[in-house]
Amino acid sequence: MKAFAHLSATELRLLARDPGSLFFMVAFPSMLLMLNGGSDRLEIHLPGYLAMILAIGGITALPATLATYRERKVLRRLATTPVSPFVLLTAQIVAQLSMALAGAAIVTGVGVIGFGVDPPAHPAWLAPAFVLSALMCYAIGFVIAAVVPRARTAELIGLLVMFPMIFLAGAAIPREGVPETMHRIGDYLPLTHAVTALRESWSDVPTLPPLLILSGIVVLGTAVAAALFRWE
Amino acid sequence: MTVIEVEDLRKNYGNTRAVDGVSFTVARGETFGVLGHNGAGKTTTVECLVGLRKPDSGTIRVLGENPARRRRALAQRTGVQLQQGELPDRLRVAEAMRLFAAFYDRPDDWRAVLERWGLGPIANKAFGDLSGGQQQRLKLATALVGGPELVVLDELTTGLDPVARRETWTLIGDLKAAGTTAVLVSHFMDEAEELCDRVAVFGNGRIIALGSPRELIGRTGTGSLEEAYFALSGEGR
Repeated sequence: MKAFAHLSATELRLLARDPGSLFFMVAFPSMLLMLNGGSDRLEIHLPGYLAMILAIGGITALPATLATYRERKVLRRLATTPVSPFVLLTAQIVAQLSMALAGAAIVTGVGVIGFGVDPPAHPAWLAPAFVLSALMCYAIGFVIAAVVPRARTAELIGLLVMFPMIFLAGAAIPREGVPETMHRIGDYLPLTHAVTALRESWSDVPTLPPLLILSGIVVLGTAVAAALFRWE
Repeated sequence: MTVIEVEDLRKNYGNTRAVDGVSFTVARGETFGVLGHNGAGKTTTVECLVGLRKPDSGTIRVLGENPARRRRALAQRTGVQLQQGELPDRLRVAEAMRLFAAFYDRPDDWRAVLERWGLGPIANKAFGDLSGGQQQRLKLATALVGGPELVVLDELTTGLDPVARRETWTLIGDLKAAGTTAVLVSHFMDEAEELCDRVAVFGNGRIIALGSPRELIGRTGTGSLEEAYFALSGEGR
């Protein structure tokens, strides 16, 4: 437990020292919100930004970190200590989730206090929607880290998966405005269900299906990653 | 009292016989050298000792445990410095020491270890900003912070300048004086001669000579362990 706490704190510190993660997870969402500050439908944008924060961290930063640890034999070094490598993976999740919560808290604060966005209507639904969306992104990140051997490639693949997804899933911009074909592609993206779950619990009527779909992706992704992941 | 017992260890990678019937023992408090050229089977043997690899056959007992089955229990009592095994670039020296100390049940005071290894002045530097020698020293210090009974050090002084090498030898001498058992994997014969009570010379996955540096020098009628090594391994000339 002591090792886990230290490792989680250390991973969070390292993540916060990564300028890319810090900017895109903490500052960038608020900047987007301000750019859209004139819109009277900010309660549509804001939950999308939460999904975007999770996707940037989980689908891009997470696999890049894991692949780097594998390539530079950090995982191997850790395997000679009493700490199980699974503790490291869990610490990664804790660090990612903490960073995402910080980003989410800031963009929510800016939205609610600065732009008069209504606070979440169903916080009891928003919390599980946020956590499941996070785990879904981490599952995708773990799959990328499992199938892509090299660190640089893992980072690139993470970006290639994450970028189109945050736009087509309605995370960075609402999906209402995008052309029909694009819209249909979005229907099949995992992140779309995260956006739906977050939006419904923020300002609409929360429903169970998006949460169930997210859970399914978490289970499937974790199983695939566990089967394919190589420690060396 | 025996700390390490290896009997007829074998490990193949595909058709390559990396380790081909190796047996040796290491007594408590002993500093044991594992010598040999690249590909002689040293690293595979050491990886089996610390539980990173599972032998194809043969038995290994380290501190009374089977490393392949009880890796984590053994890791509590063993400090390992691998030839490869880095730390994250943005992790700072003091953070690394504190983190590794947290992995163990009864660690040494990490600040004291940090000072002893001369890392005090660079405690706030990030791993990625350290020189090769400083990185090496930090890696050694993280291997020792758990207060191990046994240390396994692969390529102990590779990348260190001559002064740092001598300092490292002194610190290994201190460990030895404290009763810590050590396995040193090395390319440097002067180092093995200086530090090791006994050495095993590896060649083609086997031990071709085993004894104290003095015995091996005497047996070959040479003047140093380096010359004895070349005579025994039939190389270099």
